[in-house]
Amino acid sequence: MTNSMSDEELMSQVRNGIGEMLGVLFERYHVPLFNFYLRLTGDRPMSEDLVQEVFFRILKYRHSYRTDTGFRAWMYQIARNVRFDHLRKRRPETSWEPSMSPAVEPADTAQQSQESALLHQALLHLGEDKREVLILSRFQDLKYDEIAQLLGCEVGTVKTRVHRALQDLRQIFQLLEGGKSLPRKSSEGTDRWPNPESLQ
Amino acid sequence: MKCEEIAELLPDYLQGRLALDQASLVEEHVRGCVPCGEEAALWQKLALLPEEQPGPAVRSRFKAMLESYEEGRWEKASLSQERKKGPALWGLGNLLQSPAAGVVWACIFLVCGFFIGRHSDQASTSTTELTAMHEELTNMRQSVALSMLKQQSASQRLEGVSWSTRMTGPDPKVLDALLHTLRYDNSVDVRLASLDALSRYGSRPEVRRGLIEALPGQQSPLVQVALIDLLVDLHDPNAVQQFKRFQQDPKVDPTVRKRADWGIQQLS
Repeated sequence: MTNSMSDEELMSQVRNGIGEMLGVLFERYHVPLFNFYLRLTGDRPMSEDLVQEVFFRILKYRHSYRTDTGFRAWMYQIARNVRFDHLRKRRPETSWEPSMSPAVEPADTAQQSQESALLHQALLHLGEDKREVLILSRFQDLKYDEIAQLLGCEVGTVKTRVHRALQDLRQIFQLLEGGKSLPRKSSEGTDRWPNPESLQ
Repeated sequence: MKCEEIAELLPDYLQGRLALDQASLVEEHVRGCVPCGEEAALWQKLALLPEEQPGPAVRSRFKAMLESYEEGRWEKASLSQERKKGPALWGLGNLLQSPAAGVVWACIFLVCGFFIGRHSDQASTSTTELTAMHEELTNMRQSVALSMLKQQSASQRLEGVSWSTRMTGPDPKVLDALLHTLRYDNSVDVRLASLDALSRYGSRPEVRRGLIEALPGQQSPLVQVALIDLLVDLHDPNAVQQFKRFQQDPKVDPTVRKRADWGIQQLS
């Protein structure tokens, strides 16, 4: 019964205090959200933490959900804010978790085809703003107008950025394929999170 | 068509959102143009990236959060009933420390922030709101940590310990729960993890007292040695007496006795 309900209907119920409906939304979105963060950062334990934080905030700030808003766009807005806050407050001396968590690299690297491994590396070498827009449009199934709303910019800007991201990705991929090693971008912290206004 | 013209259509083409006639124009170009063709191929290749699965902890933490949310509501209801029955049962101290009060405080801050903001600059409003948001999240984390420390499985209790370390200043309830875990949890791993978590709050006298009280009951040499090391690091001379008991007790593991001996020298 609940499986046939739309995201928006479920979220409205959560908003009205029926917390268990969040369980259905969790089943639908915790894996996509995890992959969103993992592809963006390459950091598995941190991605798991951030997913948890997103569901925290959905529950805590459920009253701010407007029923006429698409749930996914709202959720990814929260997801971006969560990461933004995480970057802002992160201090190196507080990173205690990794010792209790599995390795950072994807577990099945050995089995992955070389091409897919190279692609994964190439993606992590993309500039962060391009990487994000590519991930949102290719993997998270968001339309360009939804992404534009999320980033606070024009639809045309999003499309241009997707195209430029592909151009950059192609060059990086070719360099990696040719055996050239590129310095691995730090998964977090070195890139400043882009200000939506600077995206124009 | 030129590459520049295609560039405008390519993103929509890739998401399959072009009308048939435009799509066929792009397809034709892509077949004859190497860079555009490679870009389109890359988009397809991205599908090769496998979808990763998060670890089981994500689900258990979520369940714990939902449980604590439901319990929180129940607590609120029972709080009002208890207060009707007898207000004396509810000391002011308890009330101020309860998670429900945290939410009330957050609301008070929000409302105050609103009124202050109306009469002063906008920045102060947002600071107050941020403080309230931070407080709410801290309360939720504490609830999750407490809830997870009570779970059946050792891995979930480990997660609970891990959660407790994500707070800048855990409340006394969480510290009590960690000390209780250190003394009574039947898993050595969980006891060691809680010790590690407590080491962050070693500057608090109540934590140091709890650590010393946990010493006599410990059976595992691993935990005993870790406790001795931590108390030496914290330079707490009150631990010496208990170290001496270890030193003189023939039933205690020889390694632990040696460590206690070393600890006494360090603290004397």
